[in-house]
Amino acid sequence: MTRAVRSPVTTSALFDGYLNPTRPHAGAYDEMFAADFGIRAAYKTLYESIAPTEISDLGARAEALGRAFVDQGITFSLSGQERPFPLDLIPRVITASEWAKLERGIVQRVRALEAFLADIYGDAQILRDGVLPRRLIASCEHFHREAFGISPPNGVRLHVSGIDLVRDEQGVFRVLEDNVRCPSGVSYVMENRRTMARVFPDLFARHRVRPVSDYAVHLLRALRASAAPNAADPTVVVLTPGVHNSAYFEHSLLARQMGVELVEGRDLFCRDNVVYLRTTEGERQIDVIYRRLDDDFLDPVHFRPDSVLGVAGLINAARSGNVVIANAVGNGVADDKLVYTYVPEIVKYYLDEKPLLPNVDTYRCWLPDERAFVLDRLDELVVKPVEGSGGYGIVFGPNASRSELATMRRRVRKNPRGWIAQPVVQLSTVPTKIGDRLAPRHVDLRPFAVNDGENVFVLPGGLTRVALPEGSLVVNSSQGGGSKDTWVLASRSSTAERELGDPGLVSSHAVDGRVTEQGPELTAAQQQQQ
Amino acid sequence: MSWRVRVVHSTGYRYSAPVVQSFNEVRLTPRGDRRQEVVVNRVETTPATRSYRYTDYWRNVVTSFDLHAPHTELKIVGSSVVETAAAGDAVTTATWNRLRAEDVVDRYTEYLEATQIVPRHRELAAVARELRRGASPVDAVLGVANWVHEHLTYQQGRTSVRSSAVDAWQAEEGVCQDYAHLSLLLLRSMGIPARYVSGYLHTNPAGEVRETVKGESHAWIEAWTGGWWGYDPTNAIPVGHRHIWVALGRDYADVAPLKGIYSGGAASALEVDVEITRLA
Repeated sequence: MTRAVRSPVTTSALFDGYLNPTRPHAGAYDEMFAADFGIRAAYKTLYESIAPTEISDLGARAEALGRAFVDQGITFSLSGQERPFPLDLIPRVITASEWAKLERGIVQRVRALEAFLADIYGDAQILRDGVLPRRLIASCEHFHREAFGISPPNGVRLHVSGIDLVRDEQGVFRVLEDNVRCPSGVSYVMENRRTMARVFPDLFARHRVRPVSDYAVHLLRALRASAAPNAADPTVVVLTPGVHNSAYFEHSLLARQMGVELVEGRDLFCRDNVVYLRTTEGERQIDVIYRRLDDDFLDPVHFRPDSVLGVAGLINAARSGNVVIANAVGNGVADDKLVYTYVPEIVKYYLDEKPLLPNVDTYRCWLPDERAFVLDRLDELVVKPVEGSGGYGIVFGPNASRSELATMRRRVRKNPRGWIAQPVVQLSTVPTKIGDRLAPRHVDLRPFAVNDGENVFVLPGGLTRVALPEGSLVVNSSQGGGSKDTWVLASRSSTAERELGDPGLVSSHAVDGRVTEQGPELTAAQQQQQ
Repeated sequence: MSWRVRVVHSTGYRYSAPVVQSFNEVRLTPRGDRRQEVVVNRVETTPATRSYRYTDYWRNVVTSFDLHAPHTELKIVGSSVVETAAAGDAVTTATWNRLRAEDVVDRYTEYLEATQIVPRHRELAAVARELRRGASPVDAVLGVANWVHEHLTYQQGRTSVRSSAVDAWQAEEGVCQDYAHLSLLLLRSMGIPARYVSGYLHTNPAGEVRETVKGESHAWIEAWTGGWWGYDPTNAIPVGHRHIWVALGRDYADVAPLKGIYSGGAASALEVDVEITRLA
């Protein structure tokens, strides 16, 4: 899908030994270099810019980057310890045509999952028609019967989704998993870009990179559009579990950028199915809650009665239509990793379309045939729990010891519904600064989609996570990964905005971009900020 | 000929210190089906509240309300008039083969899977196998209900609302809730879809018109053997005129008549009072 452009490879010290044939996972698709050392179209300009760079200059820029990040206080908690989420110097580049294809695929997936959730928490026609087994849904840990009958005013349940993509050995983008509960990471997308623009203004000058800074504008538009029609000027808040949450930085950033209040559960209360915010000027009715709190903690009346993070009565407030919870309660049924294997059927059933983005081949341990196959080849496959995220509980067959495999076999037999298996996908690689060289490291991509009920907006870019240890295929930030700025190039003919496109000030861009993108409703948001 | 029955169910809490922020959900509204018609239903609270009604996943009617003014007592009264039919026949259309069929197993998966209160149990599974031997599905249901009726002694106080079917089996004592849970465990273990029904029982089989009896909050089961039909293992009788049903689910947790959270002093439950009058 990507054209490899043959160009004379200027031998650069930075790329010494880059495509060493003895490196681990040498079959992986490298996004910069084709197998014959030609440079792929997307990276041509980037390569030309960085190849002549002195190694020492690269070191200085890396230092500047690290400082900028620590200054901004962007950290991630790794096994209970706060540390900066390392941003790599070399951006990941996606061409306009590749992106157009991805975007269509993501929009299709979001639409299908929306229809699926509306159905599952309503008439469940897909189960009646026998397309999916009822057992699949009834056994899903995040199928919340409490959410049955809650129908959001504009029908949207996936206000924000993060679709995790990987690129296989042929360079084909595949969906690895869907994240439709409270997908996080968009703050890194915006902050990575801001930092990169500061450290590498010259690179941006040579590329037409599509901007990502207007994410909050789209999010606020979608949240306001989700409010009940009778709320003329809806009040939106961001609900956070509090400062101890690993993504608190993101919660506060989004609230600030949208110009809305950042609240905790104790700041809100329900009375007669209406949610109010306690303010110094008295109670204020809340119409939309962008919550970054798991379902289980949301409402002690229906979920964990010991939770003090949520708001008692919230579920029934949503049921009666007085408040919108974004993302909706019970979305976890759509990103269960076993349900994921049925997404092609789901797309076909609701949209009557072929899935534009393929899944990664997956074996379902709950089907006897496939379970037997998996148990047979445990040492070649990656076994994943259907629940849970952050890379916890995943066992890489090829790296596992005999006793680990035996344990795994027992666990799969004991709870087949709880596990899926996939062949080891050799994720694509992108040059990454390791020491004073650039080396191939495996990456994935989490683009973010925002559904406002009429359009699904996909932020051009997304979070590229990179596995820093050599040969590692686990990119989760909770497993010691880093990230990269993700550049989606604008096509030559397009009039789309580009990053640092203005000849003037670097900082003027964000403001300008917002003004031009804003519809009438967003004027109100600006007023709130003042 | 159906009975017309009035049920007045009073319940609630008394608190040791004033309570604010109390959020409650009650299931006190009978439902209609082929056997029962709901004429009227009202749920009232003291202190008065603005209540909100919705239908839950199991199609039970839930009344929810919240209280924010300090109060030391909460009283809830559910009053209904329903018409109930005589006991129908058990549905005999499904064979054991049919019950094992993929589509049946999938359709009724929720009434076949174990829950926290109705778990899987090895010894009880052996009992179920024994009861099933040589019996048709309907006879197996009756066999289970009679076995439970024989095995348990009706005794209040030995088990609580949180007790599981296994607890009751070990205690050999229990109340209607335990009779129902133990029956469900055995039925599900033999592959018969079975569900929990909560409601009321008119305590006088003769059912004199205009006579008000002290009834009870009751529970029984329904089994699927080609169609759903009810049986009352506590009394080992079919479900008929005297049974007024309110809610159904996988077990007690799905149909709890009264549950809520509040902040304030310790609570003690008010005496539950159920008055049942046959009107016609």
